[in-house]
Amino acid sequence: MTETLLWVLPLVPTVTALLMLTTRDRRILSAIDVCGSAILLALTLVLAREVAKGGPSALGLLRIDDLGLVFLLLLVVLTLAVSIYTVGWLKQAVAVGNMRAESLRSYFALVHLFVATMVVTVLADNLGVLWIAMEGTTITSAVLIGYHGHQHGLEAAWKYIIVTTIGISFGLFGTVLVSAAAAAHGAVGADAMSWSAIMKIAPMLNPGIVRIGFIFVMVGYGTKAGLAPMHLWLPDAHSQAPTPVSALLSGVLIKCALLGIIRFQTIAAAACGPAFPAEVLLVFGLTSVVVATPFILAQNDLKRLLGYHSVEHVGIVALGLGFGGTIGTYGALLHVVNHGVTKALAFFAAGKAIARYGTRDMRVIRGLLAVAPIGATLLMLAALSLAGVPPFSIFVSELMILRAGIGQGHWVAIAIFLAMVVVIFAGLLHHVGAMAFGEPTETATREPEAWSPLLGMMLLAAIMILLGLTIPASIDGLLRRATEIVVG
Amino acid sequence: MMTGERSLGLLLFEMTFLVLLGPLVTGIIQKIKARIQCRQGAGVLQPYRDLAKLFRKGTVQADTASGLFRLIPVLVLAATVAAGALIPVVRAGPPSFPLGDALLLLGLLALARFLTAVGALDAGGAFGGMGASREMTLAPLVEPVLMMVVFSTAVAAGTTELGALAAQRGTSWVLAWHAADFLGFAAMLVLLPAETGRIPVDNPDTHLELTMLHEGMLLEHSGPGLGCMLLASHTRQIVTLGLVSALFFPIGPANGADAAGLLLGVGAFAAKILVLASYLALVESSYAKLRLFRVPQFLGIGFVCALTALALRIL
Amino acid sequence: MSAETVRTIIDDLGALLLFTMILILAAGQIYRAIYAVAAQSLLIAIAAAVLATATGNTDLWVIAGITLTVKTIVLPWVLHRVVRRMNVRREVEPVIPVAATLALAVMVVVMSFHLSATLGPVNQAITGNALPVGIALTLLGVLVMATGKTALNQMVGLFASENGIFFTAMAVTQGMPLIIEIGVILDVILAVLVMAIMVLRVRSTVDADIAGLDRLKG
Repeated sequence: MTETLLWVLPLVPTVTALLMLTTRDRRILSAIDVCGSAILLALTLVLAREVAKGGPSALGLLRIDDLGLVFLLLLVVLTLAVSIYTVGWLKQAVAVGNMRAESLRSYFALVHLFVATMVVTVLADNLGVLWIAMEGTTITSAVLIGYHGHQHGLEAAWKYIIVTTIGISFGLFGTVLVSAAAAAHGAVGADAMSWSAIMKIAPMLNPGIVRIGFIFVMVGYGTKAGLAPMHLWLPDAHSQAPTPVSALLSGVLIKCALLGIIRFQTIAAAACGPAFPAEVLLVFGLTSVVVATPFILAQNDLKRLLGYHSVEHVGIVALGLGFGGTIGTYGALLHVVNHGVTKALAFFAAGKAIARYGTRDMRVIRGLLAVAPIGATLLMLAALSLAGVPPFSIFVSELMILRAGIGQGHWVAIAIFLAMVVVIFAGLLHHVGAMAFGEPTETATREPEAWSPLLGMMLLAAIMILLGLTIPASIDGLLRRATEIVVG
Repeated sequence: MMTGERSLGLLLFEMTFLVLLGPLVTGIIQKIKARIQCRQGAGVLQPYRDLAKLFRKGTVQADTASGLFRLIPVLVLAATVAAGALIPVVRAGPPSFPLGDALLLLGLLALARFLTAVGALDAGGAFGGMGASREMTLAPLVEPVLMMVVFSTAVAAGTTELGALAAQRGTSWVLAWHAADFLGFAAMLVLLPAETGRIPVDNPDTHLELTMLHEGMLLEHSGPGLGCMLLASHTRQIVTLGLVSALFFPIGPANGADAAGLLLGVGAFAAKILVLASYLALVESSYAKLRLFRVPQFLGIGFVCALTALALRIL
Repeated sequence: MSAETVRTIIDDLGALLLFTMILILAAGQIYRAIYAVAAQSLLIAIAAAVLATATGNTDLWVIAGITLTVKTIVLPWVLHRVVRRMNVRREVEPVIPVAATLALAVMVVVMSFHLSATLGPVNQAITGNALPVGIALTLLGVLVMATGKTALNQMVGLFASENGIFFTAMAVTQGMPLIIEIGVILDVILAVLVMAIMVLRVRSTVDADIAGLDRLKG
C-alpha cells in the first residue's frame, strides 16, 4: 500500500498537469486544479496513517519516513490552499489583464509540474534524485516567476535561475563527494547515493571528505533555501512571481531545500560528530537573521518585505537545527510548518491587498481595514504571527528554538537573535499597522471580497491558530518521530 | 637514453646553421601566408635578398643619436646569436664544456630586447620611443611565462640545460606527455606569436604607428645596422622555435656523430621548425591584430596555462 | 589497458580540460566560448569512453554517448542558434577585467589542488590529478557564471561547471549511477532551453541582455 502510494504521489500532480492541457476554459481548469490538489492531500493523509502505523517504507529511489512526511504534509496542504485561492485570484487577474486567458492552461500545468518536482524532492531517498528534483523545481518555478512576461519578472526569473543553478551545482558537487566517501565503504551503484544506505555506514565515513561535502551542500541547498549571503535571488523572485506561486515558493520550496540540508546534516553529524554541522548551520542562520533585518525595516515593497522575511525565518530554522538537541530540532521542524502556513497566508492576503490598490508600494496602501475588513484582518493576523506574537504558532516554535539555545549556552547567538527579532517585530507591526488603519487611498477599489481567496486564507489561518493554541497529538507524534530521525 | 656530449665543433656548426636558416624560416612563413591569402607572394629567399641589399647600403643616422646607437645592432645580433648556441639542433645531450642553460638563453633574449629598446630611445624618434615603451610593457608579461614553461619541463627532467633536458626526455613521444606538458605547450603556443613579434600581438608587416611594436624600434636604423637588427629578429624567431622543439619535441636528434646521423638530425629539426612555422603562418592569417589593451588578456591565457602546468608538476 | 595508462590518459585529458576552461574564461567573443565548451564536453566524453574500456562498465559507454550527442553537438548548436537570433557579434566589456578573472582562476586552481591534498586518503577510482582538476573545473565554471558578462556566457559557464562535476564523479566513483547522470543531463537540457527562451524573450521586447537588467534592487 505505502509502496504503491510512493510512486502514485508524484504522478498525481503530473497527471493533473497533463489534464490541464486538454482544455482552455478557466472554470474547468480551476476545477481540475482544486480536484488534483484535493486528491493529492487525501492520498498523503492515507500515506501518513500508513507510515504512523508501519514505519518508513522505501521503493527503489524513493522513500518516505516521518521526516519527509512533515514536509510532504506542509506541501500538500499549501497546494490545496493555493488551488482554492487561485480560483478567485485568477478571475480577477484575467479581468485586470495580468494573466492572458489563452495561456492559463500552461500556467496551471506548470504549477502542478512544480508541485510534482517538489513531491519528488520530499520523497527522494537517493541524494542524486533529490538533486535532480531540486533542479527541476528551479526550472519549473523559474518559468512561473517570469510568467507575467514583463521585463521585471523576466529579470527576477533570470537572476533566480542563474543564482540557484550556480548554488545547486555546489550541491551536486557535495553530493558526489559524500557518495565518494560512502563508496569507499562498500556502497555500490545507486546505494552510494542512497540516504538510508549511507546512514547505515555513516559513522565509518571519512570525516574529512564528508566535512567538505557538507559545506558544499550547505552552500548549494542553502542558496535554494534562501540563506544569506546566497539569498540575493529570493526577494526578487518572491516579489515578481504571481501571488499563488510566491506562496508556494516561500511556503514550501525553500523548506524542501531545508529538508535536503537536514538529510546531509544527519550524515555529517554521524560522520564528523554533531558539533561540526551545527556550527555551520549556526553561522548561516545568524547571518540570515542579521542580513534580513535592515532590508525589512527599510522596505517599501510589500512582497519584497515578505521575501526578506522568509530569509529571516529560514535563518531561524537553521538556528534551531544548529542549536540542536531534541528541543531545538523539534522547534525547527515545527517552525518549518508554522512559517510555511503563515507565510503562504501572508502572501495571499498581501496579494489581495495589492490587487485592490494596484501597487505593491506600502506607502500607498492605506486603510485596508475599511475597504476589505476580512482580508485586512487576515493580513494583520499573519503579520502578528510572523512577528512572533503569542498565541500564534510561530511564537511557540521560536520559543522552543530559544530554549534550545539557552540549554546549549549559545549566549551570543541568542542575544543577536533576540535583538533582531525584536527589531523586526517593531518594523513589521509598523508597516502592517500603517496599511490596515487610516483613511483608505482614493485609488482603492471597493468591490466586495471574493469567496474563494477568503476560503483558502481561512483554511491556513485556522491551521495557524490551531497550532498556536495546541499541537494535536498526531502532529506532535509525527514531529517527535521526525526529530528522532534527525537527532538519532 | 643518454646520447653523449656535444663537442665545441658541433655547437659552432649548430649556431651557424641556426643563423643561416633564420631568414629562410621568415621567408617560408611569408610564403605560406601569401598562399593562404591566394597570393603568389615573394620567393622564400626574399629575406636573404633584403639582407644582402641592406648590408651593401650606407648608414644614415639621426643627429640626436649617441655613439651607442651604432653599436646597438651589433650587440643585439651578438646576444641573439649567442642565445642560438644554447639550442640543441642536431643532437641531444649536454655540451662537453660548461656553456649555459635555458635561463641564460632567456636572459640573452631579454638582453637583446632591452638593447633594442635602448637603441630606439637613444635615437630620439617618437615612433621608436613608443615602440620601445610598448615592447617593455609586454616584455614582463612574456618573459616570466616563458620562464615558467621552461621550469615546468625542467622540473621533470631535473636540469635546465637544454641539451641534457632534451636527452632526458629523448624517448618521450607526444602520447607519453604528462598533463603538465599539454598545458605548458598550450602556453607556448600562446607565447610564440608574442615572442616572434607576430599577429595577434604584433604585426611585422606594417609601420603604422597604431599597430607596431617591434617594427617601431627599427625605424631609425638603416643600412648594415638595420640588416643586423633584421638578422637578429630572424634568428630570434628560429631560436624561439628551436626552444619549443627542444622542450616539447626532443625527438629526432641523432645518436651518432657520423654524417648520416648528422643529416638525420638536421632533417628532423627542419621538419619540426617547418611545422611550427606553419602554425605561426596559420595564426597570422586567421586572426586580427589585437588592440594593445587586449594583448595582456591574450597573454594571460598563456600565463594561467603555464602556472597550472607548473602547479601540476610540483603539487 | 593498464591502470597506469588510464591514469596517464585521464591526467592528460584533465590538462586539456583545464586549457579549454581557460579559453572560456578569456574568450572575448561568445562564439569562441561556445566552441571551447563543446570541445570540453568532447573531452569529457572521451574520458568516459576511456574509463569504460578500462573498467568494462557499460554504463560509462552510455554516459559517453549521451555526453557526445547532447553536450558536444545539440546544446552548443542551441547556443549557436540563440547567438544568431540575438544577432550580437561584438565583444562585450566584462564586468571584471579578464586579467582579474584569470588571476582569480589561478587562485582557484591552486586552491583546488590544496583542497584535494587536504582531503587525504579519498578512495579514488583514478589516482593522479583527476580530482583536483574536477574541483577546479567546477569552481571555474561557477566563476564564469558569476562574472558572466552576458546571458550566453552564463549559460556556457553552467555547462562548464556541469562538466567539472561529471569529471569529478568519474574521478572518485567511476561516475554517478547511470540514472542519476541521465537525470542531471536532462535537467541541464531543460534549464538551457528555458534560459534560451528567456534570453530571446527579453531581447525581443526591450533589446537588452537579460543578464544586464538591473532594475530590481533593495
